[in-house]
Amino acid sequence: MENLKTYAEITYCPGCGNFGIFTAIRNVIPLLEQKGIKRENIIMTAGIGCHGKIFDYLNLSGIYGLHGRNCSNSEGIKIANPDLKVINFSGDANGLAEGLEHTMFAAKRNQDITFILHNNSVYALTTGQFSPLAEKGWKGPSTPKGSYEEPFNPISLMIEAGATFVARGFSGDIKHLTDLIVQGVEHEGFAFIEVLQPAVPYHNWEEYRDHIKYLEKEPENYFEAIKAAKKNHKFTVGVFYRTRKPVYHEELYGAYNPVTKKISRDTRLDKIRKTLESK
Amino acid sequence: MVSEVFTFLVGGKAGEGVKKAGSVAAHIFSSLGRHVFQMDDYMSLIRGGHNFSVISTSPRWISSHYIKANLVVNFDKRSCETHMNDIAENGIMIFNSDEQDLENGIGIPLSSEVEKYSMKKLMFGVGAVAILAANIGFKKENMNQIIEDEYPSGIEDNIAFANKIYDMVYPDCGKKFILEKGDKKRPIVTGNEAISLGAIAGGLNVYYGYPMTPTSSILHFLAQQAENFGLAVVHAESEIAVINMAIGSAFTGARAMVGTSGGGFALMTEGFSLAGITEAPVLVILSQRPGPATGVPTYTEQADLAFALTAGHGDFLRIVASPRTVREAYYLTAEMLDLVWKFQTPGILLTEKHLSESSMTIEIDIENSKWAEPKMHKNGDYKRYLNTDDGISPMVFPPSKHVIKWNSYEHDEFGITTENAEKISFMHDKRNKKLEALIKYLKGQETVKKIYGEHPTNIFTYGSTYMSVLEALKYGRMNPTTIAPIYLSPLPIWELMEFKNQDNIVIEQSSTEQFTRLLKEKAGLEIRTTIKQYDGRPFDPIDLSNKIKEVLQ
Repeated sequence: MENLKTYAEITYCPGCGNFGIFTAIRNVIPLLEQKGIKRENIIMTAGIGCHGKIFDYLNLSGIYGLHGRNCSNSEGIKIANPDLKVINFSGDANGLAEGLEHTMFAAKRNQDITFILHNNSVYALTTGQFSPLAEKGWKGPSTPKGSYEEPFNPISLMIEAGATFVARGFSGDIKHLTDLIVQGVEHEGFAFIEVLQPAVPYHNWEEYRDHIKYLEKEPENYFEAIKAAKKNHKFTVGVFYRTRKPVYHEELYGAYNPVTKKISRDTRLDKIRKTLESK
Repeated sequence: MVSEVFTFLVGGKAGEGVKKAGSVAAHIFSSLGRHVFQMDDYMSLIRGGHNFSVISTSPRWISSHYIKANLVVNFDKRSCETHMNDIAENGIMIFNSDEQDLENGIGIPLSSEVEKYSMKKLMFGVGAVAILAANIGFKKENMNQIIEDEYPSGIEDNIAFANKIYDMVYPDCGKKFILEKGDKKRPIVTGNEAISLGAIAGGLNVYYGYPMTPTSSILHFLAQQAENFGLAVVHAESEIAVINMAIGSAFTGARAMVGTSGGGFALMTEGFSLAGITEAPVLVILSQRPGPATGVPTYTEQADLAFALTAGHGDFLRIVASPRTVREAYYLTAEMLDLVWKFQTPGILLTEKHLSESSMTIEIDIENSKWAEPKMHKNGDYKRYLNTDDGISPMVFPPSKHVIKWNSYEHDEFGITTENAEKISFMHDKRNKKLEALIKYLKGQETVKKIYGEHPTNIFTYGSTYMSVLEALKYGRMNPTTIAPIYLSPLPIWELMEFKNQDNIVIEQSSTEQFTRLLKEKAGLEIRTTIKQYDGRPFDPIDLSNKIKEVLQ
């Protein structure tokens, strides 16, 4: 597990919920390798925010993208070379504020990527403003009287958008979280995993531990899943929805691979000649 | 009547088959071995309004349409009013006599003839083709063959209708224009098709776009050709997604391209900057239309030059080049794809609606296109941002035993985020070295097109305006030296030094003279005056020729 760490200095706050995610992902990689997924085929992307620091710490290839835009990087990686397994890290602002359209569309397309949403319900790195998943009334520097907006329900939002694997985990239960991420990566299609993770300057662990519940039974269909997502908002962890739908890259070009099966220059020039002859 | 250039103009409402009739006419001319230039003028609407297509043809190479046409066919009243003054000397107008009565021109009851058939709208276009065929003495059986090939639905009705119209106009103007045959048949290609094919020739794997005139037709053409050429072509949710997807694809080694116009490119600029710091090879096709903002969607302008040259925040190398002709668009797109991969930086192929959507007969030496290849890492430990003599770090693509980190934060050579003062300036210096390397490389390439003439005044122009200038000079029988930079960033100053302290004029399509300012500021050239047009329309060669005559000393 240690060779999954780079030399970068770890600058999460002591006690940060991100440690749990970092540990879980380092458990996940060897498990995936045991299942035959090569480490070199696992690519990560991260956006900007505390979640993104994982890019520097984790010794895997990938793109540390722009705030809100790494989901598009993930899609571009998968579309160009579908042999790669893409794990997309995001904060709740990165993925549901600046990047909301991309998250929704990646789900709508059922892109075969794993989207891990670090939900700390706050803009931690930029000093505590309310975020898309912050409770109404959150007092941050941009909302001194408390925020006026209700938070999204990310689970029902993603089921509705078209995600085919939707789950919630907790960074305080690393074993459960590890299992969810493995399932997410193995799932063919858009796997969305919300991870509850306290940002300790703003929230404490008790706020979470006292409320965490485990979903008793995995819902069996779409309507049950929506119902469960609405009923068990915020602190219930488990798999809410799992279904099979065609994945985007296969709809786009079947079993092809634009990079590894690239058409040679000579063949291209021949075909261009034919195209021009018909003009 | 025989003349060097023959021009056919057809006008009507959107949905009546104006553009299609124009392109069929262009194919009739090219089948005679003649050169063709077709410009389509259309409004931002689906039905109604006024659209027209104008095709100029000659046995010699022709690089612009002429707005004064020898044969004008108008389907409706509005077209007649619009093109009343666009009839060349000895030219004629054929109009729809069901719409109005005119003293000049030949009236044909187009609407009532069309009414006789069940399928109506595109038939106006078929009628225009028949009128043209009669006027140039094109045999009926040849016309029928063309109609069969070009209008596959309702062939029988179309042929019956075309023959009726042909017979109606023949007594008045049959064989009125004798078109001399040219040397050979050439393909007719739009600028956007040339760009698309050039990209494919250069190794394109993936294309991302969001519909926006005038580059939507690149998205459409490539989507249609995707299977044939093994491409992934994606219409994404926004231009922001488009550029970031392209960067993701480039990470895997895929040759990625995106296309848009000014407004869409404005959305792409943050991602363009990401490509700068991650050193992602991405090619942007930026085809200009009049701005600011939504501007005039379906017309032409050259007012995004300054924007393209400085697009994206921060210091990084941007390569910007602009094709002068449809033919050059093919080579230059492949060359730009190669350059962005050689130098691992984003590039812009800057063009205009006038090039993107106009069609020309072209001859391409297909083999002569570049093939994009990056410098690859050979052996030993791998660092994505390894400092080298020329600043270009060898590449590796996943899957690989090496860890490959592309980072939007400032980073060390391995790709890990840094805020260390020395490392920040070190990485700036590393990236900046690529400019010197690029200039060194470009000094061995044709970066400025110069045609030396015998006049003390020099004309500077760029992009598709070059074609308008050449045609204007031919028309006006003038031969000043004409200089057109193909590369705009870096501007090939080494090629422009010889024109310092000479009498220079600029011709461009920007109201604030962006190209003039570039030449003054970057190359230190004296510019006496600028001939500019910024009404969304490309220059007309006759009009431009008169303007050039006024300013030549």
